[in-house]
Formats: sequence, structure tokens, C-alpha cells
Amino acid sequence: MALKERVERLTQTKAWYGELPVESLYTAGIAGERFFRTLKDNGEFSGTKCKCCGIVYVPGRIFCERCFAPLEEWLTVASYGTLESWTVVYVGLDGSRLAEPIIVGLIRLDGASTVLVHRLGEVTPDTLSIGMKFTAVLKPKTKREGAITDILYFKPV
Amino acid sequence: MGRRVAIVGVGMTKFVRRAQETGQELAYHAAKMALDSCGLHLGQVDGVVLGSAPDSFDGVHMKGEYLSPGAGAWGKPYMRCFVGGATGVFSVINGWYYVASGLFDTCLVVCEEKMSSFQPHAQAAFLTIFDHTTERPLKPNLLWIFALEMNRYMSTYGLRKEDIALVAVKNKNNALDHPCAQIADKVTVEEILKSEVLAWPVQRLDVSPVSDGATAVVLANETVARRVTDKPVWIEGVGWALDTAYWTNRDLCYPRYVEEAARMAYKMAGVTDPRHQIHVAEPYDPFDYKELHHMEGLLLCGKGEAPQLTVDGVTRRDGELPVCPSGGLLGVGNPISAAGLMKVAELFWQLRGEAGKRQIARKAKRGIAQAWGDLMQVGAVVVVGI
Repeated sequence: MALKERVERLTQTKAWYGELPVESLYTAGIAGERFFRTLKDNGEFSGTKCKCCGIVYVPGRIFCERCFAPLEEWLTVASYGTLESWTVVYVGLDGSRLAEPIIVGLIRLDGASTVLVHRLGEVTPDTLSIGMKFTAVLKPKTKREGAITDILYFKPV
Repeated sequence: MGRRVAIVGVGMTKFVRRAQETGQELAYHAAKMALDSCGLHLGQVDGVVLGSAPDSFDGVHMKGEYLSPGAGAWGKPYMRCFVGGATGVFSVINGWYYVASGLFDTCLVVCEEKMSSFQPHAQAAFLTIFDHTTERPLKPNLLWIFALEMNRYMSTYGLRKEDIALVAVKNKNNALDHPCAQIADKVTVEEILKSEVLAWPVQRLDVSPVSDGATAVVLANETVARRVTDKPVWIEGVGWALDTAYWTNRDLCYPRYVEEAARMAYKMAGVTDPRHQIHVAEPYDPFDYKELHHMEGLLLCGKGEAPQLTVDGVTRRDGELPVCPSGGLLGVGNPISAAGLMKVAELFWQLRGEAGKRQIARKAKRGIAQAWGDLMQVGAVVVVGI
């Protein structure tokens, strides 16, 4: 069958399913280890500040991506901040409709230069606007495992 | 061949089985060290080249983008190159032509690999490089290629495993003096011959390990190079070539693609008699027989002659033609692209007389680094000199 002809049914040509299996074991890194431990143990958001550029990275990093300075000064920023943008997601990865749409937002925590992406909760799309204040809702301490999902969602202040 | 290009700084992390650092953090350490070594800061870098092997190693799709902050690419022209195992040397060729062309005055070249991410073992990442129709149903392993090639090499020239194992002995011993080495060891031929058979004739100690690590070099044009260092190491020639992607159809006992890459680089460098004009070599040695294979492809000796040179001690650090004085992939480790670039870094230190305990005995003004990869049919070569 020539390439330009469209295959309408799988049985018209020999084809089979295969997969590219990839399973990974990740490390959070030197900075990530500290950020997630602080989140798990203290329920706080920690970052690093570049003295040259004035940028506060949250999660913290060990280097400034702009000037390459090593970053050693850790600080804690607020667990609330400003909504920079938001969307309501209706379809899943395979294109099917979600049973319940999810709201996703970008939050710049007070004191941070960088922005986190996470889910928004306890809010409806019709009340959302950019610039609103949101605060983190964390899992109870005993349930936290040092992962980004220790944050359940952000809710309006 | 355009403007002269020099290597003016290098940096590398330790090569380890599993790094706590993320790939970004590894890349940063190497890149920062390379810049610090020549007193340049990130603002003086015109463009960045990143070399990294399959995305599946780090477990991040499009890992060029993921690694870019650690490579210093923020706000700069940034190019990722990838030719499998040959990436480390090819990345230098990439950086070279941005500077040689006059587009950039300086170029930071960073190579990173975090192979420990892939589960259960990085080897399995290679299952999916094979043809999905004719080969994958047989569940091939990369070791198949090496074993078939090694067997062919041995039987064509009547070689003994004992002689080939001497390469692993030499390189793992050399690595004892490398501060970044992962599996330096005083191993013996007997221990190699007794190690587990992976795919005959390849045994455990014939093979380099799975590693995490990063290496970086700073390239500069002549004006910048003369300003920042008294000892620029010039890139005199570059070359790369491909054989057929049908790996079964290659000449398994001779890497013709390496010869073609070498001839291209030699022509550019004005090298007419490599046996005498190359003083130190860092051929790609993921397996012990590959060092020999590649020495022949680089025309450093005749076909089938490399094992005897090894037996005679010619390739030791105190020999006439030191080969893999760094300890190579067999001793320092094999975070794919970072290992290839480590070879260029080693030539930089050797030619400048800064290799410390690894410093070769003979006087060296010119060296060659080579790496090999893709579906085992790419050769990349760089000739450097002072």
C-alpha cells in the first residue's frame, strides 16, 4: 500500500503494538533534598537568594541560572502568594473528558521571584481572577512524604 | 578551516554510580569549574553547546531543555547535539565550528549524563534503539553487538583474550591517579579472565561501568585565548563519519568510520604520519578491545597490531605512545557524553603538563581524542596541539 493511501482499518496492513518501556529512579538533588525536607518536616517553603541578581529561587537551587553564582543563603518564604495565571482543564492525557474538571494555577509565593504550578481548590472558575491571593493547603504532617504532592492545592486567602 | 579555536578551560565532576545531584546540578558543577579555571564568567560566554545521550538515561524527555540552566544557557544561543556514545567528542566539534566560523568568540561545551535514573539498568535503555521489525522481537542487547564484533576481531587476527585484557589492566590502573575516577583498580589479567561472562567473549571486567557525571570545556578564539591563558590548547583538526545504520553489515573487525573521521581531522591538522606526529591518544574504550580497535582506526598502528603494542608496553604512560593515560572509560567511568569529553579534558591537562600523577613521561605537543556511538557506527575525532 502506497504511503499516500490512507489506512482506514488496522487489518488492511500488518501492524502490531509495541512499547518503549522507561522506568526511572530520580533524586531530588542537593537543593531539592533540602526544599522537600523542609516542606515535609516544617510545612515551609524554602528558597535560595542570589546576592548578585537579587532573585529568590523557590524551590531553592544551588546555583543562579543567570550569573552562575553558587547559592548558599537559604531563606523561608510565605506559604501564600499571588495568582499569576490559571486555567480549567477538561480533558485528560488521552483526550477523554475528565469526570471533574481541574483548576490549575501559577502562584508566586510572597518573597519568591519564581513561580510554582499547582492545583487550585475550594474555588470555582467564575470567581477566579489573576492577582488574587492564594495559600497552600498541605497534607497533615504525618502523611507528608517530601514530594510536591504534599501540597494538596492552593486555596483563596 | 576558519579562525583558530583553543580550549582554554576544563572542569569535571566525579564519576559515580549514583549521584545525589540532579543532572542540572552535575552540569552546573562542571560548567562552573571550567569557567573558573580560565577566569571567565558566564556573561563572557557567547553560546552554549550541550552534549547528552538518550533522554531515557536521565528520565527527562527533551533533556537538553531540562539541563539548560545548569549548562549556563539562560539568555544565550543554545544547541544540543547527540550522536550516542560519540557525543562527548562531537560536542567539541560542534562548539568548534561556532567559534571557527566567527559567529561566537567563546563557547561553553557541557556534557552530562545521569545513567543511574534508568531502571532496572541503563543497558535496558538500548533495547529500543534496534529496528522494531527485524531485530527487537529477538530482544537484542547492546552487548550483542560488542560480543559479535570482539569475536570477529579476535578470530580475524588470531588474538588471545589475555592480550586484550591488558588494556583493562592498564586503564583501570591509570585511573588510580584520577581524582574523578569511579572504578580505578589494581586488577590483574587473571581476575578479568575469571570475571562473569556477559556475552561471550565479553566478560564483566572487559566493560566500563554505568555512571553519573559531567564534564565541560571552554572554547575561545585566538584573541580571547591569548588574553585568558598562556597555554591555549588549539583544536587543530576535527572529523566525523558514519557507517551504515545496518550494524550487521559493517566490517566488524575494522572501524572504517573511525578511519574516515581521523583522515578528515588529520588533513585539517596537517598530520601526514600519525604514528609519529600523534604523541598521546585517548581513543574510546567502553570495552577493552575497543581501545585496540580504535587505535587501528585512528591509523596509530596497522590492522591487528594494537594488541602487540599493548603487550610491549608502548601504550603505557611511560611508553612511546601513551594511550588513555586518564584511565579511560574502563577506569574513570562511563557517563556517556561526559566520558567522551573527559578524553578531551585529559589531552588538555597532558599537553599543558598539568596531569599531575597521570602526566605521561614523553614530551607531547599533539594528541587525539576519539569517541564512538549511535548504533555503533559513528566516529568523532578531535586533534589538539600546543
